[in-house]
Amino acid sequence: MNPSPIIEIEGLTKTFRHATEAAVKGISFSINRNEIFGLLGPNGAGKTTTISMLCGLFPPSSGSIRINGRHFHQHLADFKKLIGIVPQDIALYPTLTARENLDFYGHMYGLKGADLKERRESWLIKLGLTDVGDRKISSYSGGMKRRVNLIAGVLHSPEILFLDEPTVGVDVQSRNVMIELLKEVNRAGTTIIYTSHHMEEAEDLCTTVSIIDYGKILDQGSPGELIARHPGCEDLESVFLNLTKRKLRNG
Amino acid sequence: MMHKLLATIKKEFLLLIRDKVGLSILFIMPMILIMVMTLIQDAAFKTLNEKGVPLVFVNNDQDSLGILIKQGLENNDLCDFSDSINGRPATAEMASIAVSEGKFLVGIIIPKGATSAIRNNVTQLVNETLNTDTAALNTTADSVEITILIDPATKKSVLSAITSNMHEFISEVKNRIIFQTFSEQIAEVIPNKSSAPKNAYQKTQLIRYKEVYASVTGDKIVPNAVQHNVPAWAIFAMFFIAIPLSGSIMKEKNEGSVFRLNTMPSSYLLLMNGKIIVYVIVCMIQFLLMLSVGLYILPLFGLPALVMGNSILGIFLLTMGTAFAATGYGVMVGTLSATEHQAAIMGSLSILLLSALGGIWVPPYIMPEVMRQISAFSPLNWSLEGFYSLFLRGGQAKDVLFDVLKLMLFFLGTMTIASITNRIKRNI
Repeated sequence: MNPSPIIEIEGLTKTFRHATEAAVKGISFSINRNEIFGLLGPNGAGKTTTISMLCGLFPPSSGSIRINGRHFHQHLADFKKLIGIVPQDIALYPTLTARENLDFYGHMYGLKGADLKERRESWLIKLGLTDVGDRKISSYSGGMKRRVNLIAGVLHSPEILFLDEPTVGVDVQSRNVMIELLKEVNRAGTTIIYTSHHMEEAEDLCTTVSIIDYGKILDQGSPGELIARHPGCEDLESVFLNLTKRKLRNG
Repeated sequence: MMHKLLATIKKEFLLLIRDKVGLSILFIMPMILIMVMTLIQDAAFKTLNEKGVPLVFVNNDQDSLGILIKQGLENNDLCDFSDSINGRPATAEMASIAVSEGKFLVGIIIPKGATSAIRNNVTQLVNETLNTDTAALNTTADSVEITILIDPATKKSVLSAITSNMHEFISEVKNRIIFQTFSEQIAEVIPNKSSAPKNAYQKTQLIRYKEVYASVTGDKIVPNAVQHNVPAWAIFAMFFIAIPLSGSIMKEKNEGSVFRLNTMPSSYLLLMNGKIIVYVIVCMIQFLLMLSVGLYILPLFGLPALVMGNSILGIFLLTMGTAFAATGYGVMVGTLSATEHQAAIMGSLSILLLSALGGIWVPPYIMPEVMRQISAFSPLNWSLEGFYSLFLRGGQAKDVLFDVLKLMLFFLGTMTIASITNRIKRNI
């Protein structure tokens, strides 16, 4: 039996106001339920634009997004309850403590009372932040901030989790903990859509990978399928370089 | 929905109390501003009304007119009288130099023989009237020229107040001499008629003026620097909340929180409502503190205590209306701006402009007609007029309801603009 798609994208295009060229050019793909889907591409490839449209931050210029078979932008308010996001930049209040930040975002997702407190403390323990949870975010190291940023996205157990380069600037220890936790979240039933520059990390984590450049999907499949499909490539990084070439990007 | 709103309020409150600089801008600076502005304006008020205008008097007449004017000016509260310069009796030349150097605001020079010239003119007039001296009919009257020197740096409004007062006073002294001379001349012409009694001139003062400050309730609230400045600068400070508020909106954008918040099942208005509630409360506390300055701190500096009128409900409604208008304006500035820097400049300059137009710096009645008409569109003016109704005219809550309504409509207008701008900005 084929797994059912949770997200279906058809001809998705985005041309920003005053832009001469589309950032995303008619891409189509589907993401199956409980999958870890990697959207990989160099700077300016269109990854963040695609993720932003999938999160409802702005509408596409054309094309459609369906979640659970329903048109995304016609049921935006309902779908926003299903998603979680871990943005590329730290989206936390620096003068609030980790606990205060998590309480605020938890409430915004409809959590409250003992349930919120239990979830918050559980995640702080998992990410080794329980002792520093009452310190202001501004006093945290870059890695600690990334970990709290991650918790804020998963606290409400979303059905779909978007991760936009979640491990940028994180030390190896923190990264390993975060990757393990993402796998755990996925095992608990969350579909993950993930962008990264770390090909090794993507190869380890993702069940399906889509390589995007200049707003177009260049190839898609499991990491193993992609490596097999490109002769002479031994890993996902060499597939990536083979498809996107080595030219420097200014995205 | 309610717990989301409460969470937003809690978050805003925590962000506010942890921003020590922001707090000092919100609470301490306005209190200092109100004290400084009131003390400065009170000092200026006192210079003209208590200590008096520095005036130098040159009496070249040394007769009735000069003596009476001197006595009158010495006893006039409006004048800080002096008839000497550097210990030497003032001359016309010395007075002219001293006034041009700004040592005196006004100089008055009574010419030599002024009294006798008036007497001669009156004698001539009596003779003409009674036709006793035909030779006098062909002679022309001598005019008496009293010179009033004015410091060119004096403001026109102050100048016209002083000169009109001087004109009135000198004219009265002149009339008194004319009346006295007239009486004496008539007594000479009509032998069995004695001259008028000494208080006869006072009896001719048939019209008197009584200056009473109009008030709805008849309460005697005396306008002074405190009554004018406390509400005016309190409103100004309340509107200045737009700067930290718009800054907080921009900070959320820059720190990435807005990115996450926009993906959440919460509306823009819900997030803004949390801010509005916190900042409206801050505005109300601000106003309360500034009233306290007027009530308890300014009297410690020798100023009269603020008199708040009779309507606590009116004050509450008007303060709330002003607070909503100010926060709505802050949300609009924060939404329209692209950067924190832009929000700070746009916020501060526009508030200075609105306050100048609103009559915070100078009262609208001295503005040119066009500016006065524009002034009526400033929300600061609506608020100020409301507080003048309550604090100076003894008005009640019903007297400020229209001002409150206008302020609330301004709030709704700014929120509508902010909401539409947010939608346009997100639909990139």
